[in-house]
Amino acid sequence: MPRQGHRPVAVVSFAQADNVRRELRRNEVETLMPVFAEVFSNIGITKDDVGFICSGSTDYLAGGPFSFVSALDAIGVWPPRTESHVEMDGAWALYEAWVRLQEGDIDAALVYGFGKSSMSDLSKVLALQLDPYVLAPLWPDPVSVAALQARSLLDAGKATERDFAEVAARSRKAALSNPKAQVAYDRNVAELMGEDYVVSPLRTHTLPPITDGAAAIVLAAGDKAFEWAERPAWITGIDHRVETHSLGARDLTASASTTKAAEVAGVNDGTVEVAELHAPFAPQELIVAAALGLGDDVLVNPSGGALAANPIMSAGLIRIGEAASRIMDGSAGRVVAHATSGPALQQNLVAVLEGV
Amino acid sequence: MLPDVETLLEYPYTRTTGPVLGPFFTALRDGRLLGIRIDGRVYCPPVEYDPETGTSLEPDLVEMGSDGTVKSWTWVTQPTSQHPFDHPFAFALVLLDGAYRPIVHALEVASPDELSTGMRVSVQFHEDRRGAITDFHFVPAGTGTARQVVTGGEPVTVIEQLISLRYREPLQPHRRRFAQGLLDGRFIGQRSPISGKVSIPGRGYDLLERVEVGEEGDLVLADRGSVTAFTVITPIQYYGQKETEPYIRASILLDGGDTPLTGVDVRGLPIDEFRIGLRLQAVWWPAGQRDLGEIDNRSVSLDGIIERWNPTGEPDADPDSFEEFAL
Repeated sequence: MPRQGHRPVAVVSFAQADNVRRELRRNEVETLMPVFAEVFSNIGITKDDVGFICSGSTDYLAGGPFSFVSALDAIGVWPPRTESHVEMDGAWALYEAWVRLQEGDIDAALVYGFGKSSMSDLSKVLALQLDPYVLAPLWPDPVSVAALQARSLLDAGKATERDFAEVAARSRKAALSNPKAQVAYDRNVAELMGEDYVVSPLRTHTLPPITDGAAAIVLAAGDKAFEWAERPAWITGIDHRVETHSLGARDLTASASTTKAAEVAGVNDGTVEVAELHAPFAPQELIVAAALGLGDDVLVNPSGGALAANPIMSAGLIRIGEAASRIMDGSAGRVVAHATSGPALQQNLVAVLEGV
Repeated sequence: MLPDVETLLEYPYTRTTGPVLGPFFTALRDGRLLGIRIDGRVYCPPVEYDPETGTSLEPDLVEMGSDGTVKSWTWVTQPTSQHPFDHPFAFALVLLDGAYRPIVHALEVASPDELSTGMRVSVQFHEDRRGAITDFHFVPAGTGTARQVVTGGEPVTVIEQLISLRYREPLQPHRRRFAQGLLDGRFIGQRSPISGKVSIPGRGYDLLERVEVGEEGDLVLADRGSVTAFTVITPIQYYGQKETEPYIRASILLDGGDTPLTGVDVRGLPIDEFRIGLRLQAVWWPAGQRDLGEIDNRSVSLDGIIERWNPTGEPDADPDSFEEFAL
């Protein structure tokens, strides 16, 4: 039985679009269509087999209202279907679908996230998620906010700039074996440390790429999961927590919300083999790994993580998909997925997935 | 080659300030800095809820001094148009003397070489203040000018912030062909290879079967059709509203098409004679005067393309034949 919920729910299929710096030929609907085709055909089902649909996106990326409504065109929702949306990463859409499946009247849900970051200036768009009274009017851009967090980490003696470079080098090297990675390379730490600061103390290698992309997951409950997948990735624990929007009031060198979510999800109730962490900036991986209490023997971000591709609104969902894939392909038995939202790791979701 | 689509998105946000931030902004306007006290902990800027417990707070506001210590900093080498300075500057976490947690704000120094964690800084109020977080910034301690408190003004109950974002992307291939057709005086739709249905504008895919439709699916539709639905809009006066009189937005099913053009402006036609089934003929703006300005990858307005729609004088189409169309 799962630690949470009374009804076992599993990830049974995962697909993602090519992660690219600038998708010039396809809009969001056209980007999603082949993703849906793949996520359904992986397990031999159609859109008519899912009873609930939930997406994560933000209209500020496209600059137009209700883009999540037009995105439904990519599914072809006729006859009508129960559908919902969160203005958050698709990982939180997955959480809503997991809750919905607990009700017991439907057996499967489609979850997806999408966004084209290339159309706008992300440094301005992401400033709008900050406190609108005392922070957003200063327009702190996400790199500057991440830099404040990184320096806090350095000054607290919890990490060095070399640690940042080691995260980046390991992630981009792992990304070489991820066909969907946007940034992948094999460069040594010393070489990375030679880069100039973009925003001190962050050098280029510590930053995520700007990515257009999308991803989708099919969740199935109970017997339906075994019917569709040989090795379903059962969600045995899932929780998300948020910290104050007052950036200065937080301890930026730790992630209290990740720690709390990990406790509730039961991360350390068993051995963690693989962890997919949503840490867009390299220093953040150190904070999240510490907050989760991961040991040195855990394989972290074999996909390359968000440093390999960072499609806003789906990078967190992709972490769940990548972690689940390690269960589904038989290479791991118990994995952890993490997703983040908001400035400097403000809100965090943690899921534990297990094979049978 | 048609140019990229550029969009300017602006929201003039107006926010009420409430019992905690209202006095904070009023004090800033006057040249004073307030924090809030929670069980001996002082937060500046003041918070409405205890960050550690979420408890709603009674405003126990205290005046802060001018000085503080840098707890973290970063150096912005290329400021954006909205940043507080147009020259390189620092964002910093500053722990004001007596405060429990730092404030995030801008710090002006000549060079990043002057910056260090632990450096002492002071609040520098601006001369022209309106009751906003941008009424001050930080400078190295001892380099600012003394604050001059001016009291007696009205409380700051509302703050305004204009959000302004620019978007740019090329028209997608099928939308480019549609837009070029409009410039050439033709309505180009797309026929689905699965259902045979014709949609306009084409989306590059079949709406129900999720199958891509390429250029081979393009076809030209008539520039006349039938009204399948309409609504009479009575304008309310909001920021940016340009309309003053009631007007019609209609859905028009072009002959040969299976999806109506929606939201079509048919002003000029008498509202009380407008009806479902009415036959209309497009009157194009002259070639060279057609404007694609309101056509992007997500929405289409024909206002810059079609000057008006004229009744053709034909008998009305049978409304029952539109049963399939919800809009």
